Amino acid sequence: MIVFRKLLSSTRLTIVGMALLAVGSSLIYGNPAEVPVWVLVAPLSVLAVNLVAAIATNPRINRRPGLLMFHIGLLAVVVLVGVGRLTHYEAHVEMVDGQQFTIDDAIDVKSGPFHSGNLDQVQFAQGPFTVDYQPMLVRGSTRSHIRVRNEKGEWQARVIGDDTPLVIDGYRFYTTFNKGFTPVLTWLPDAGAPVTGTVNMPSYPLFDFKQSNSWTPVGGREIKFWLQLDTGLRQDAAWTLDVRRTGSVLVVNDGDRRVELKPGDETVLDGGRLRYEQLRQWMGYKIFFDPTLRWLFLASILGVIGLASHYWRTFTAVHAATDKITALNSASSAALTNKG
Amino acid sequence: MFSEATEMPWLWAGLAAYALAAFYAFRGIAQQRVLAAGTRSYEGLVLLFMVCGVVLLAVSLGVRWVRIGHGPFVNLFELLVSQLFSLGTIYTLVYWRLPLLRPGAIVSLPIIWVLGLWVLMIEPKDAPFPPTYYNDWLWAHVGFGKIFLAFSMVGSGLAGVILLRWIGWFASWLRHLPADDVLDRYAWRFMVLALVFDSLMLIAGAVWAQDAWGRFWSWDALETSAFLTWLALGGAIHARLAWNVPIRLGAAFILIIFVVAFMTYFSTPFISEAVHKGVI
Ligand code: HEM
Repeated sequence: MIVFRKLLSSTRLTIVGMALLAVGSSLIYGNPAEVPVWVLVAPLSVLAVNLVAAIATNPRINRRPGLLMFHIGLLAVVVLVGVGRLTHYEAHVEMVDGQQFTIDDAIDVKSGPFHSGNLDQVQFAQGPFTVDYQPMLVRGSTRSHIRVRNEKGEWQARVIGDDTPLVIDGYRFYTTFNKGFTPVLTWLPDAGAPVTGTVNMPSYPLFDFKQSNSWTPVGGREIKFWLQLDTGLRQDAAWTLDVRRTGSVLVVNDGDRRVELKPGDETVLDGGRLRYEQLRQWMGYKIFFDPTLRWLFLASILGVIGLASHYWRTFTAVHAATDKITALNSASSAALTNKG
Repeated sequence: MFSEATEMPWLWAGLAAYALAAFYAFRGIAQQRVLAAGTRSYEGLVLLFMVCGVVLLAVSLGVRWVRIGHGPFVNLFELLVSQLFSLGTIYTLVYWRLPLLRPGAIVSLPIIWVLGLWVLMIEPKDAPFPPTYYNDWLWAHVGFGKIFLAFSMVGSGLAGVILLRWIGWFASWLRHLPADDVLDRYAWRFMVLALVFDSLMLIAGAVWAQDAWGRFWSWDALETSAFLTWLALGGAIHARLAWNVPIRLGAAFILIIFVVAFMTYFSTPFISEAVHKGVI
């Protein structure tokens, strides 16, 4: 039993755990799909048990406040990361200019089994956005204009983008490189009520060369088209992606017939008319939620403060001891000299 | 106002000053063999040339900053020059304040010079500044990282002296320097300080990554490599507590950690075209 307890709290086990963690993190490098998360969880569990045992039994760690604080900080980080994985939420959403966010718009949702939050109460609406590009299509600043509903129910304008996410109730919305154009189309059937819809075209300028898509209005048949854009894009010059400076022609393929529509134009198709209302933009957001973020920060900072104070104490103690020895030495050599 | 032609001579002059500092460090140690131990007049010259090098590099960096409109954070050339500046600055301070550690200069200054030679082989192109680099955490992350690398370089300098002593020819050369156990103690002191700053660098980097890319950690090439460096350092510190690790083995370990840290800085980000670029 004692042997077992000694083993559990031994710093040799720490080294084994660390070596396993090094192997695990090399395996998980780049997050390959086939590597299970156990390659990290297993060594971290060994280290956590080892650390708890060491803190409980080893005075070399539990009698030194700074060192103790550091190791507890490490333990807290590991536990918090675990809690974060169980409670996190990640997703993407494509927001068209004019659209209000609803939870049903979220796609590619990945969340921990214990996730709970108020995403369904998050209220914001997309406005226009611009993205600056330097020559050779190097992306610069993104400025996404949005409106957020505050507690009083008023809509407030905000600009977000790049490293400035929109944060509501802990949900963080980040603009991404994924964004593009959205034609607004109306189908006016020969019989029945008109239907208006939006179609998000492939990401721009990434898929500049294949801006084609199709739309099937409710009760209608599939309409295939592509979008001819005049955004002013040039490889060799700076340029801004902005729908307000973009000309567009919707090219509809109706069997052998090819029809070009400018915003406001319409054409007669089999069973009704198609109107190209206007061009808008869509922005792809990444949604991220992890309730542990601020605690993680706190635990890690406190840990480092503990480590720093541990070394501060150690070094100043060593200095004091060295000074003492030097003083003693010089006193004794002075005594010898006097005698001589 | 400025062109590449304006900043390069300052860079070359700075590197020349570092080279002279390294030369005098070697010459001083070599002379000590024949002169009385403790003759250290050469140290003033080393210090003088280090200070000159730091100032000249600062001018080179400043001129470039004004020319291209952003700090030296983006491509390999900029990273190398800014490291030459920061390693030089921190090393100069250590050299000035801690005379006992000065012998390590014969290893640390050549390490700085490896970067110097490398930078001479790279085209001083400028690269666009990614929008996420305007974040204030960039400064904390980069600052802590620079202190971390500089402290581990100081540790490596002392570890290098311990290992050089093993080689017969150097043994007599380095005879007058402090004993191995003294060098070992100081080397590990700098390594544990390096661990403090490495930890801070990782924290600041994670906060920045959360702002910039919407996640604080995702085991990309750079993150994995930086984590392994941190773990290796923690592992080595524990190994010394758990076993009676021979001084030379410990010194070899310090050098290994430094090499891993060095690769994390100067090769990993450029091998994998990471998210840092943000194209399209
Ligand atoms: C997770 C399991 C861990 C356990 C059980 C553990 C245990 C211990 C113990 C018992 C000590 C005091 C030993 C002594 O003075 O004889 C110690 C010191 C220390 N540990 Fe850990 N540790 C763990 C993880 C880590 C990690 C991951 C790091 C950093 C990467 C770390 C860094 C340190 C440092 C810097 C010291 C101080 C050494 C000194 O005073 O010179 N530990 N640890």
